[in-house]
Amino acid sequence: MNRQYEGIWIFGDYRNYFQNRVTLQLLAKGKELAGKLETQVTVLLLGYQVHQYAMEYTAHGAHVVMVVDHPALKDYQAETYTLLVADLVDRYRPEIFLAGATSFGREFFPRLAKRLKTGLSADCVALDVDPEKRLLIQTTPAFGGALLAEVVTPNHRPQMATVHPGIFQELLHNASAIVRVLYPEVEILPDERVQLLRSRREQSRDVKLENAPVVVVGGRGVGTKDHFQMLFELAEILGGEVGATRPAIRAEWAEEERLIGQTGKSVKPKLLITVGTSGALQYTTGIRGAETIIAINRDPHAPIFQMADLGLVGEARTVLELLLRELRKRV
Amino acid sequence: MNIVVCIKQVPDVPNIRMDKERMTIIRDGVESIINPNDCVALDAALDLRGREGGGITVISMGPPQSEEALREALAYGADRAILLTDPVFAGADTLATSHVLARAIGMLDPIPDLILCGTQTIDSDTGHVGPQVAEELNLPMVSNVIEIHLEDGYLTVKRVHDGFLDTIRIKRPALLTISREMHKPRHLSLADLESAFSNQGILRMGHRELGLSPDEVGFSGSATWVQKLHRPPPKRKGEVLTGTPQFLVEEIIRRLEFLSIIDEEGDNE
Repeated sequence: MNRQYEGIWIFGDYRNYFQNRVTLQLLAKGKELAGKLETQVTVLLLGYQVHQYAMEYTAHGAHVVMVVDHPALKDYQAETYTLLVADLVDRYRPEIFLAGATSFGREFFPRLAKRLKTGLSADCVALDVDPEKRLLIQTTPAFGGALLAEVVTPNHRPQMATVHPGIFQELLHNASAIVRVLYPEVEILPDERVQLLRSRREQSRDVKLENAPVVVVGGRGVGTKDHFQMLFELAEILGGEVGATRPAIRAEWAEEERLIGQTGKSVKPKLLITVGTSGALQYTTGIRGAETIIAINRDPHAPIFQMADLGLVGEARTVLELLLRELRKRV
Repeated sequence: MNIVVCIKQVPDVPNIRMDKERMTIIRDGVESIINPNDCVALDAALDLRGREGGGITVISMGPPQSEEALREALAYGADRAILLTDPVFAGADTLATSHVLARAIGMLDPIPDLILCGTQTIDSDTGHVGPQVAEELNLPMVSNVIEIHLEDGYLTVKRVHDGFLDTIRIKRPALLTISREMHKPRHLSLADLESAFSNQGILRMGHRELGLSPDEVGFSGSATWVQKLHRPPPKRKGEVLTGTPQFLVEEIIRRLEFLSIIDEEGDNE
């Protein structure tokens, strides 16, 4: 049964393209997996007037780009896409199908997996293949990231997974890459039950925080709203953004959009400085991906120190004041 | 209007501890709670019932102890509770779970106008069950809803999605997943309190009552399975320093220089 399915497909999620690089990241990983399986990577691109993205995907590693370009597909719409893509999957039979775990990916892919009656894992943080069994090994966080589960889909195809943005590294732009472009004949049946009346860009802070190279996070231990303001100055000097834990937001030291953790944002900056945070699990799941973590807390036994590359036992306010004084001298 | 809210009983994750030898979660002594995101969905249902009247049914698939979560939901103000429980439901992934839930919801009388779910659970974290129930019942769905306006035969909802604030008109019956950000303080009306104290039975249904064969549900009805569960590798072997604030700040600055976040002093001389 598994031999009838071949190839790796990637859903082309092009919205917010310059900040949202997840399709390119999946292309790079897909190419690596395809090499091990001796097969090809196809990007599926659905939309209206989206050829620019076909070119981008070509330059970033796709072997094949499959395009369905039609006015009815102008806006992302899960029900319409599910019918269309399920039909394409039935016809072309990829063995693996990946999508970024964007809001849309996490809404669309489960519907598609259900329609195809196949397995789907969510928000993977690692992928690998077993070439003999042609199995996709999907590593996904469970219990808010406290544990990692290795999931496989042994008897159903395609093996589907959504992947956390920022996990894989995209390939460099290759302007001379050549690709095969397919334009399959499809029937498009827009779902009339759902109508997008208005769509407007939210404040770009969400995107800023998730892409910031440096993130400074404050928790309850910062003490007061005035002290919390120091984090903003620190972030500015270091070229970063400010995040907060739930207690700090409850105390109204920062807005809800700055929440980091299980019910807030996940950040993967080059440097994360976490101040006055004890290290509760629902917070730390949002910072696991940071390259370097510096933690400041006055309690030497605070769990946060188990997650830090550099831990400093001290009063948040005192350390921050002194740190800012030193940094201001250098600016 | 008739609303169904899907809930799941989960371990209280932030307070969970790991058995480091066996690489499993220690469930003993850890409280079970209604998945927090499901509470937000239940709040939304109570608010809608307050506006338009009708009934709220809470439904859950789980082991017999999930009845506690359903009782709690009834105390919050749900009108009716259904527990889908059966040994053959065990080991289900979201494909099998959504199949059981969809089957039960499809059998409800009266037919629901609206199904509300949380966006994801704090133990499995997938967020798949809402969309998959919608797909099986062939219902339109909007996820991450922060605002709901009722119209005749329709709903207009607002939701935040990949940095966009969308306003969407959706035909009833429909399924919505409710964003955590929608949490509103709940007002317990007199009617709510009365229903909390009335004696309600919880309807239990197993695979036979649902007309399902054992191989469509539970482990047999699943497509994915977990072959390994492990702790994330400890990447960080950090040193924890104590000392004067001056000393601590010097160490921070040293690290900032090392990471090239700031320039080393004397570089530009």
